Amino acid sequence: MSPDPQPQPQPPSTHASPRLSPHDLARVDGALKHMSISLKEPDAGAEVESPLPSAPPAVFGAGGPMLKQFDQSTAGSRIASQTVTPPRSVVGIGGKVAKPDYSEAKIVLAMVGLPARGKSYLSNKLMRYLKWLEYDVKVFNVGQLRRSRARQKAQLTGQREDHTASYFSHNNEQATRLREKLSEDSLDMLIQWLKEGGNVGIHDATNSTHSRRQKIMERVSREKGMSVVFLESVCDDPALIAANVALKVSSGDPDYKDMSREEAKADFLRRIREYENVYETITEPHLSYFRIKNVGAEVTLCHIHGYLQSRIAFYLMNLHLKPRSIFFSRHGESQYNVEGKIGGDSSLSERGMRYARALPALITDNIGDAELTVWTSTLQRTIQTAQDLPYNKLTWKSLDELDAGVCDGMTYEEIEQAYPEDFANRDEDKFNYRYRGGESYRDVVVRLEPVIMELERQENILIIGHQAILRCLYAYFHNLPQADLPYIKIPLHTVIKLTPKAYGCDEERYTLPIGAVDTHRPKPKSAKASGAGTPAHAKVAPMSPVVPLASSTGREYYAENA
Amino acid sequence: MVAPLYTTASGLLFHAGKILVLTVGLPARGKTHISRALERYLRWTGVKTTVISLGDYRRKVLGGAQKVPPDYFTLGPKSPETLALRQKVSDGCEQLIWDFFDSGGQVVIYDANNGTRERRQTIAEKFDKAGIHIVMLESLCDNEELIMANIRSVKISSPDYRTWDPEKAVADYYSRIKNNEAHYEPVEETTWPYIRIMNVGEKIMVNNIRGYLQSRVVFFLMNIHNNFRTIYFARSGQSLIEHSYKADSDLSPAGWEYAARLKEFVLDRRAKSLQQRGIDPTTRRLAVWTSARRRSHHTAWPFLNITADDPEPPARVKIVERPQMSEINPGVWDGLSPDQVKKYYPDEWERFVKDPYAYRAPRAESYHDLCVRLEPTLVELEREREDLLIIGHASVIRCILAYLIGLPVSEIPAIEVARGDLIEVVPTSYGVYSQAYHFWDGPGRSDNGGGVGKDEKNFYENYAEDTQGKRRPEGSSNTVTA
Repeated sequence: MSPDPQPQPQPPSTHASPRLSPHDLARVDGALKHMSISLKEPDAGAEVESPLPSAPPAVFGAGGPMLKQFDQSTAGSRIASQTVTPPRSVVGIGGKVAKPDYSEAKIVLAMVGLPARGKSYLSNKLMRYLKWLEYDVKVFNVGQLRRSRARQKAQLTGQREDHTASYFSHNNEQATRLREKLSEDSLDMLIQWLKEGGNVGIHDATNSTHSRRQKIMERVSREKGMSVVFLESVCDDPALIAANVALKVSSGDPDYKDMSREEAKADFLRRIREYENVYETITEPHLSYFRIKNVGAEVTLCHIHGYLQSRIAFYLMNLHLKPRSIFFSRHGESQYNVEGKIGGDSSLSERGMRYARALPALITDNIGDAELTVWTSTLQRTIQTAQDLPYNKLTWKSLDELDAGVCDGMTYEEIEQAYPEDFANRDEDKFNYRYRGGESYRDVVVRLEPVIMELERQENILIIGHQAILRCLYAYFHNLPQADLPYIKIPLHTVIKLTPKAYGCDEERYTLPIGAVDTHRPKPKSAKASGAGTPAHAKVAPMSPVVPLASSTGREYYAENA
Repeated sequence: MVAPLYTTASGLLFHAGKILVLTVGLPARGKTHISRALERYLRWTGVKTTVISLGDYRRKVLGGAQKVPPDYFTLGPKSPETLALRQKVSDGCEQLIWDFFDSGGQVVIYDANNGTRERRQTIAEKFDKAGIHIVMLESLCDNEELIMANIRSVKISSPDYRTWDPEKAVADYYSRIKNNEAHYEPVEETTWPYIRIMNVGEKIMVNNIRGYLQSRVVFFLMNIHNNFRTIYFARSGQSLIEHSYKADSDLSPAGWEYAARLKEFVLDRRAKSLQQRGIDPTTRRLAVWTSARRRSHHTAWPFLNITADDPEPPARVKIVERPQMSEINPGVWDGLSPDQVKKYYPDEWERFVKDPYAYRAPRAESYHDLCVRLEPTLVELEREREDLLIIGHASVIRCILAYLIGLPVSEIPAIEVARGDLIEVVPTSYGVYSQAYHFWDGPGRSDNGGGVGKDEKNFYENYAEDTQGKRRPEGSSNTVTA
């Protein structure tokens, strides 16, 4: 590295039009000349040496000395941009990306609906989607609050509250007061959380009467800059309701832990009837609301405005509940995988081809006669992997691998050698690190948003994708935090089957017994001290995050992890 | 995902069938604005869409407002001659709708008042019988100011009043509306799916909307508005390594100079345009969008300027970096000159030249890919209420211009966007006004070589300029109607 890559910040110039010193101009001129000369060289050379006309010169690989030399020769040529803080000059191969500013979005989303109408399903789904878009979202479930308070009380005083159907009757005045108090407390917690920086607080309760909703409106109107939207979930499909009831009864709800299934079911149905007695659908003309019938079959919007609200509406309009599975598979092992290089558009290795041949049987065994659509990226290795699959295939540009920019085609060791600082920077914050001339994980998430929306609409889909892409999609379906996202294990020659369920996704993994290299780079223990030398793809994972295998579908009853 | 991933044999997209959108609303409620915006958007997504405007058709057949009998625009009793005239116009329009559906069209937006329940029911039944889905699109306004503004800015510039004295035109138009109000029946029937829009997008109510295409329409409508605003486009300044996408290099000294000049020029030009319309420029904010590429983002840097000599308050300027607005990715052709590409990739070059919109070089993006990538940005563009300056790349500006002007997508790669021109676009109900202002001749201006030879440019990005695309929408000062 040259002595000082960072230019000294120059004092802000007061000229209206900046001037260049002759020295600056000479330097840049020199650099440009140097560029054009070097450009012609490989061109002329290729004619003689390379018999393959399909291998043009790689001009700006980060590994070559050219980019580095160029940056250093021009680092001093930057002229003061008249600002207090001039932009950093370009040195190295990447930089950090900032999170979009959502600080102005403050929404209370209050659910409305009878029990077993899929309110929690919708709240969780919406939370996952909005979180994935980097909004700060939290569900405040009144039932959870009630249960955890009752448990605390039981632990402290030994008294157990009666939470059977009679507790939910509006004739039970004492319990009604208690329930209202709980709902208000939960709303207060939500508002407090919004004030501390949250964007969307979901109030997951029945909110089943005009007066209850009016109270919410009044409470929120006392806060500046917050708005309320109601989301009413209506179900008139008996099968759907029965399924929700069965789920509730069988999911280990502590309200029913001392009852038999039959008793529990009977009690829960009584509870629903208690609510039905007082239930008033939203008819208030002044409220902003979405009404969603049979989870997405029909959506009514009223007084919906603003970008975030329109996004929510669009998302809700695209949901469906038909049972289906989403399959993820990386392409078969590629030539570049074998060589430890990143990016590129190489073909499959011999083992990769074997995977491609074995894949159709695996999928067909799994799915039977059901319909399936295969999505691939535009890169050869995914198209080759999909070539024998007897299904409809679509190619998406948006599914292409994270673009490593100038590092495309290099090995991690080469990058580390050429740009040690950059390499460490990436390890420090992999989600936000953008390769020079390429993308960050955050950029990929933005680019995949339409794919997510399309996935919500579709039924059985098999995506033959790439490591970074599948990590992003996988994180959406399992609601994994951004920091862990770049370290999710998506091994080669493995099919991941996700089946969306009420509270998440069931997961199964099928690994075909065809060997492949491990391309997973674990999160370094200490980012700064990332060791050099060992080939990255050969390291063992010391700290990879725990992959939730079929564990994300349970319902939480005490919100302890929230 | 909105751009078509694939087409079906019928040419209909998204399994949505054929749709007839009936606009409903009193005059000056923004129906035409909404219809045109929707048409532009759906066409961009590849859906074969047209607006059939009753007003336009009437003008074509009968002539301007002064040429029709006085009772023509009043609801209520009419002379038999007038009734016959109206019937003739309405039948003619319906025939146009049938013709469009028969020729493979998917969506027709019937831009008319459709102010009575009976009239809506008659039309809807007719088309419903033929298996065409009906959607009512009602536009309501309870904001008198908005209505008057609409009359002043749109209606009196409509072809009906081309030769009129503005005040007289306003008065005439106002009486036309007043008369209608008494007979107007808002959409209360739930027989047909409807979308009701209040004050052009302020509030929205939707009933019985089904399927992806219809929900996409709702999403789009939720984000439009018809506030007056101007959109400016300029290319980023010259960078140190012009011809490479990957290098993502910083601005050259000339590029920094360009950036400073651009800032001055935009603020100046904008102040003039606003003053012409009697708007005080200090009361309005300016949003500046750039891509996440250095050459683009740094071109916006002077806008952050705070110095004693230059007191432009930065609080009025908001700079937003959008990674989706990066230039078209040249893939393996990055850094190569056209000659090198011809030599190393002869077949690919051949196919690229044949269809520069749809052809995707290895690992590159086609213009179609770019359009798909830009789609969320377009919705954001519709939503933005402030004046907007987009400091972009030629390829990105091309796609956005094509959308705003309503050009067919196949023409996108041919749109020339010269570095050194500021393109000013003002959306109106009948199309957009666009005008180019020249402000820079220094190095990096694409049509003079300016010290950078052809080989040193990113030719994939500059293909339109190099081949002197014939269409220069930014060069004409006429209204371009979609």
